[in-house]
Amino acid sequence: MKKVLEISLGVVTSVGGFLEVGSLTTAVQAGAAFHFQLIWAIVLGTICIIFLVEMAGRFAAVSHHTIADGIRERFGFNAFLWPLLAVLLVNLLVMSAEIGGVAIALELATGIGFQWWALLVALLAWVFLWKGTFGFIEKGVSILGLVTLCFVVGAVMLKPDWGQVAAGAIPTVPNHDAANYWFMAVSILGASISPYLFMFYSSGAIEDRWDESYLGTNRAIAAMGMSFGGTISVSVLIVAALVLAPHGIDQVDDYHQLPLILIPIFGFWGFVLFIASLGIACFGAVLEVGLQQAYLLAQGFGWTWGEDQKPRDNPGFSTVYTAALFLSALPIAAGLDPLKLTIFSMALTAASLPLSVIPFLFLMNDKRYVGKHRNGMVSNAAVIFVIALGFMLAIVAIPLQIFGGT
Amino acid sequence: MDMVRDILDKQVIDREQVKIGKVDGLVAELRPGKPPRIVAIELGSIALARRLGARPGGWMAKLSARLGGKRHGEPHRIAWNKVREIGIDIEFDIDVRETTIFDWQNWLRDHLVGRIPGAG
Repeated sequence: MKKVLEISLGVVTSVGGFLEVGSLTTAVQAGAAFHFQLIWAIVLGTICIIFLVEMAGRFAAVSHHTIADGIRERFGFNAFLWPLLAVLLVNLLVMSAEIGGVAIALELATGIGFQWWALLVALLAWVFLWKGTFGFIEKGVSILGLVTLCFVVGAVMLKPDWGQVAAGAIPTVPNHDAANYWFMAVSILGASISPYLFMFYSSGAIEDRWDESYLGTNRAIAAMGMSFGGTISVSVLIVAALVLAPHGIDQVDDYHQLPLILIPIFGFWGFVLFIASLGIACFGAVLEVGLQQAYLLAQGFGWTWGEDQKPRDNPGFSTVYTAALFLSALPIAAGLDPLKLTIFSMALTAASLPLSVIPFLFLMNDKRYVGKHRNGMVSNAAVIFVIALGFMLAIVAIPLQIFGGT
Repeated sequence: MDMVRDILDKQVIDREQVKIGKVDGLVAELRPGKPPRIVAIELGSIALARRLGARPGGWMAKLSARLGGKRHGEPHRIAWNKVREIGIDIEFDIDVRETTIFDWQNWLRDHLVGRIPGAG
């Protein structure tokens, strides 16, 4: 009974925490521009993150190391510096984008420009981290995040042609705007496979003192939580495709267009639901990425870490998330377009994945860490395939997008 | 035991189980005709910077000495004979409060973190 409760809580947490500014905006843009044709990218990304999250939990439960601890110990400090710097930088950009997402939600709700909200959002997030405990942050915010399920309800109410939806799950070559298509595929992969997501999960497993008895629970949480999360992203894409295209909107490059997608389904409440989804989902992500920055540095350098300790007893750790939050708020406060920043940081995430994922895969195949719970062929192959695909698409599509291939 | 593989970069804890850093460097004694023997481990930014090269090591030593005074111009050392247990972490029979390892964390607590309301 206790296990059932634990699994459901874990699934709820993952579902509520899955959608954030990256998956939301990339799905809306992809649906508007290419109808259901890019669903495959969400499906591939979701499969990959299921494997990675399961591995992160298994690694923590069996080896009692977080991923950062493991990479540093196994490969040494000099090699560890590369994934460390890559993840810190990507996290910084992603956190800016998430702060931007909350700020946009507030602008849409109040009419006051997003840049005025950025520092306030960072301050509020900081108060949560300063005063909150790990369980409160992980569970509380994620349960509120279940509001994002409104996209699933919306997608079903629009009665899409499910045959077409299924057809979109198979990769096809676009018949227009090829450069844009592949760039979107990259951004979707980057949005689904965020390093902070599985690294945060391994820290959580250590904070919750997991051991080998949790392996089954871990597998269930990873598979169900991430699948439900992927379902929400696909639903956003379906809703955007069916609502925006008939109105002649095939390019979403202004965030003011975003809340339109739920209005035809739910009327005024659609507007409210969209703002709540965007605000809550992004705020949850701000907290997670902020904590992850502090976890990463503390674990990498061996300081005391843990969200349940008081800031006074943990000065290094709490200083890092404080600095990270305010640093990330600055670009948004300076007026940088959150939508552009989001798409760019998601693509950059996809490009940076090999740096963090490949050392992690070595650990998952190392008997000294995971003993008989080593990776099988399938999980190795699945993750390597998606990461390699994302990386190759990224190095082709990012320059094309920046220097104008279309 | 392959010391570099098994000890370097491990998590270090003190006798109160407080996480105090990683094994950032090893100090070995060369003995004629016998394999070298580990006499101490080093922790902290100077030891880390030295692993990147002699020059970064020199810069970090100067910076630390300027920020923290002369006693911070060298890496923190813990004698190898203080080792208590080697497992997931490596435990030393010391109390971090009696060392200078956490001086920077204490400075942060006294000058920044502790002054913000709600720090506990």
